[in-house]
Amino acid sequence: MVGLSAFAVGAEETEEAIAANPLAKADIDGAARTDALSIPTPGELLAALNKLGKLDWSSKFRAPIATSFPSRAQMALNLGGLIADGYIAVEAEDTQQVKNLGKDILALGKNLGVSKEILDRGKSLTEFADNKQWDVLKEELEATQNEVKEAMERNKDPDLVNLVTLGGWIRGTEVLSGWVGEHYTEAGAKLLRQPGIVNFLSSRVEALPEKTRNENCVKKTQAKLQEIQTAVSFPRETPPSQDSIKQLHQLSADLMKDLARKDPK
Amino acid sequence: MKRSLIPLLSALLVFLPAFAAEKSDDEVNARKVALDLAGAFSNDGFKLRDGHWVGSIARGKGAVIQVNLFAGNEYWFSLGATNKAKKVQVTIFDEAGKPITYEPYQEGASAAAGFAPDASGPYLIKVDELEGEPSAFCLLYSYK
Repeated sequence: MVGLSAFAVGAEETEEAIAANPLAKADIDGAARTDALSIPTPGELLAALNKLGKLDWSSKFRAPIATSFPSRAQMALNLGGLIADGYIAVEAEDTQQVKNLGKDILALGKNLGVSKEILDRGKSLTEFADNKQWDVLKEELEATQNEVKEAMERNKDPDLVNLVTLGGWIRGTEVLSGWVGEHYTEAGAKLLRQPGIVNFLSSRVEALPEKTRNENCVKKTQAKLQEIQTAVSFPRETPPSQDSIKQLHQLSADLMKDLARKDPK
Repeated sequence: MKRSLIPLLSALLVFLPAFAAEKSDDEVNARKVALDLAGAFSNDGFKLRDGHWVGSIARGKGAVIQVNLFAGNEYWFSLGATNKAKKVQVTIFDEAGKPITYEPYQEGASAAAGFAPDASGPYLIKVDELEGEPSAFCLLYSYK
């Protein structure tokens, strides 16, 4: 991994270690799961994906979507998807696409009452895009996403936080499965093993207030999550086939398209 | 200023005030310790994930969190506690609770565990206090 010589003299260090005992069942069942640490950031996924080879990220752009929807839940789901699009634009190093998405994210954020947080970051996002500071832009996007979620918590809209995360994850899954489906390798396929994430997101959707849970877009998403869960819950050493990954891509792509409709089917 | 320090300092400047408004002094101090430790990894190209987990630990009363990691990436989990804790530890387990071999670091109220998962999916990170009084803790992680 990395040398630890940078640490202070006197630190205890050994080559390797391992816990003496397995975790107790109570520890496993009672393990904390938080949006802030249990759900990987898009940056982590992209770091792993970029190790598989050079991707044509611009081929993963999608057509602009609406920035106003009938319900706040649908707006939150699409905001998550747009932020994921922002990461794709940064990976593609496409200044104009970053700016376009920034405007759409701001418009959708305004409708959700979190435009101040996005505006505060928006100027720097534009400047970094103009200056082609892509690494800094990734950090800014991550910070923007977290500030939007913190603002939602402050505005007593914590349910929307989960939907933003969910929307971003579905869009990320669409892109990842699309790429792996086209350029199949076992290593790439194994990146799609994400049962813990779907479990976490699904439990958060189930915990939403009944009114939100009964919204068409949320019901549709929860139903599709069950299918997606099956597709990403394969054994550690048995990657899914190329056909299975293409099916997963179709599932997630159809769901994203449906969520972007003014009136989801 | 080294470029690699910028993300850490940015994170400190942007998020510490908001954090301080919501968290106890002990949790703020624990987070400073964890951020200091994680800063060493950023010098080696690790990106600090913008997120953290805080809580309380005491001898014999550790805490566990589930994280979801990607094969191909390398990770360092950095733990900070207050000076009430004299020795702390981070350990890593797979989703079934089986211990995973990791690269350890430990010094007083800070500890870290590094590893590169060979399979994507859920892992469990346990934080323990081995010596000292009950303390607040903060866990965060870096990846590359």
